[in-house]
Amino acid sequence: MNTDTKQILTSDGIPLEKSLKKAERVNKIKAFLLVAPLLLFLIITYISPIGDMLTRSVDDKMITNMLPKTFKAMEKWDGQELPPEEVFASFLSDYKILIEAQTQGKLTQRLNKEKNGFNSILKKLKRKMTSFEEGNTKEQTMLVHKRFADVSYWRAIKRTAPPYSIAKYLKAVDMITDENGNMVKVEENRRIYVKLWIRTLEVAFFVTLFCFLMGYPIAHLLATIPMKYSNLLMICVLLPFWTSLLVRTASWMIILQQQGVLNDFFVLIGLVSDDNRPEMMYNKIGTYVAMSQILLPFMVLPLYSVMKTISPSLVRAGKSLGGTPFTTFWKVYFPLTASGIGAGSLLVFILAVGYYITPELVGGASGTLISNNIAYHMKQTLDWSFASAMGLMLLVGVMAIYWIYNKLVGIDNIKLG
Amino acid sequence: MKKISKLLLAISFVLSITSSAFAVTVVSWGGAYTNSQKLGYGDPAAKKLGIPVNWVDYSGGLSEITAQKEAGAITWDIIDVYAMDTINGCDEGLFVEFDFDKDFGPGSDGVKASDDFFAPMPSKCAVGNILYTWNYAYNTDKIGSKKPKTIKDFFNTKKFPGKRGIYKSALSNLEIALAADGIKPGKGGAKIYQALNTEKGVARAMNKIKALCEDPKGGCVFWSGGAKPPELLVSGEVVMSTGWNGRFFNAQMDGAPLAQVWDGQGLDYQYMVMVKGGPNVASGDAMKVLKEMMSTEGLAGSAKHIAYAPFRKSSLAVIKAGEPWYKDGKTNMLPEMPSAKANTKNYFLVDPLYWADNGTELGEKWEAMKAGLK
Repeated sequence: MNTDTKQILTSDGIPLEKSLKKAERVNKIKAFLLVAPLLLFLIITYISPIGDMLTRSVDDKMITNMLPKTFKAMEKWDGQELPPEEVFASFLSDYKILIEAQTQGKLTQRLNKEKNGFNSILKKLKRKMTSFEEGNTKEQTMLVHKRFADVSYWRAIKRTAPPYSIAKYLKAVDMITDENGNMVKVEENRRIYVKLWIRTLEVAFFVTLFCFLMGYPIAHLLATIPMKYSNLLMICVLLPFWTSLLVRTASWMIILQQQGVLNDFFVLIGLVSDDNRPEMMYNKIGTYVAMSQILLPFMVLPLYSVMKTISPSLVRAGKSLGGTPFTTFWKVYFPLTASGIGAGSLLVFILAVGYYITPELVGGASGTLISNNIAYHMKQTLDWSFASAMGLMLLVGVMAIYWIYNKLVGIDNIKLG
Repeated sequence: MKKISKLLLAISFVLSITSSAFAVTVVSWGGAYTNSQKLGYGDPAAKKLGIPVNWVDYSGGLSEITAQKEAGAITWDIIDVYAMDTINGCDEGLFVEFDFDKDFGPGSDGVKASDDFFAPMPSKCAVGNILYTWNYAYNTDKIGSKKPKTIKDFFNTKKFPGKRGIYKSALSNLEIALAADGIKPGKGGAKIYQALNTEKGVARAMNKIKALCEDPKGGCVFWSGGAKPPELLVSGEVVMSTGWNGRFFNAQMDGAPLAQVWDGQGLDYQYMVMVKGGPNVASGDAMKVLKEMMSTEGLAGSAKHIAYAPFRKSSLAVIKAGEPWYKDGKTNMLPEMPSAKANTKNYFLVDPLYWADNGTELGEKWEAMKAGLK
């Protein structure tokens, strides 16, 4: 055959490929313009706040700019013994400048977060340093308060020197840099975060599992019964979904508490004695129950929409080929619903990992999750850089889970209906 | 007709926005307490000055106001805060520093402001509002034959089995733990804070709370909102609960079967601050409202609705002369207040400087302790 190696030309004499690309470009621009508002919205409301969180979690420039002379003098100090006279004198002169600019309060707050106890000693120093004599600042400062003679306080100041630091990320995994610059674990009685991360993953996993075990039969029922009944039952699934989250959580508190409805019922039927009522609220059990109920629709709906597309004749075909009901289910039906399971599980897991209100209200002490701790740092300690660091770690964790899921199952295999 | 109604709607919308922009916003803790403030000194001040006052609820801490400042959109004028927040907020430059005697008028007896307020302010940005206390209460219907009388009884799960309600943070809990563990507060609780300034003292307090929470005959429920302790007690969820005395009092007045225990109470002051850059601060309206609310009559008025002691000595004198002072016209208020002689046999004064200094670290240890509870 005559293999045509000549380029195909359009009627204008331009190569077809080029002409095609040009036509496509217009379409692409149109498509981009249609998506542009959404993209802008996402950038403004999503990406730039996250970027801001990222910079905030590593940014420590404020204090670096407040104590320039001190940090320069500290460069030569090794951190083992008390710093030399030069450091004390530079600190005092930096502090004097801050007092004149009336910004010393911010320094106090920042240092106090680094190591408790700075608040009162810096205030005392401010009062006493007006009557300091020239020279010999080291001795005079140490006389103001004995903490100034404690080398750990000066180490704390040195730790805040770098303008950018990952100290908050270390803190989020219960670690700290000691005086030699090594990363070590924090003291035993201050280790919280690793425990909370593990607990969060554990709770999210089990909530996903419970939702799956409960949601699968419900979705199957909804998908296979006649339309008029399934509509009615669908309302039962959706109505709680439309009720406020807070109302549902508060209702669980009333039902599950020790003197609550469920326990009263158990005592009535004689299952438990009156003074031995099980505790189902203000602990992990409360968290599990409430979160499973609240996240159930997120599992049922994707499963339902996938199951609806499975033709009943497939199951019948499997049975007619000699399969037992179980084999048919396992080999024919279940794999077909895998994409729905994937969608539902991913949705429930990601929501559960970041859940805040429900664990806050019903979790007590043993059922609170990492998001409650992030909120605590946002509201109480005002350590926003730390809250940002933890928030970012949560985001990265969730994205990692998404990526693993994509590698194992493939995100294109998710169907929401 | 349609056009006129649309116009009316637009006008009323504009009016509502503008008038609320001129209303001074006061932020407080909600529930019975805010109600007492509104009826006691908020509405009278608004009426007298002709400046509308708008009340907003919050749950404490400086996070919201810090967020507002960072966003450059401050909507709050006056906030009712904990003592340690006045210290921290003043340091951060969030609040206005007062020229005390100039900004706040003398008492009705002519005594200048700084002498009329019965304790010195913890920071230049604070004006004293009320004296309240952290005490505990129990449900008289569900407690049984023996009644708890001391702070030690709160931790005694053998004599009084059942769950206890305690505050979600370390504040006040460490002090009562030590008070019940043998460090008698006496008058002021100085020994307690001396112990808490040592590592051993803090560990001792934390272990006592941990023991209470892990005790099979005991157990803890953590509350954060002031309205929760009376609720927990009435529902029977806890057998005893710490809380703020005024909330217990109001619940009692509403018929709840509660009884308060004053032994080992933690007296604490509550302050008002004015936000730098608040919408009505520059015009001076916020200051006028604050001054009127913190006057002798204002502070005395709030005691008509809740059992918190006003900060001014002259207000206490007004109440004494006008007993029975409570809004029902039948109840004497002074004996219900934390400062009453019968209630102050064994008490500690919550130390805001201690908490301003150590709040962060103690908070971490406390959260670690809570996270480790079974």
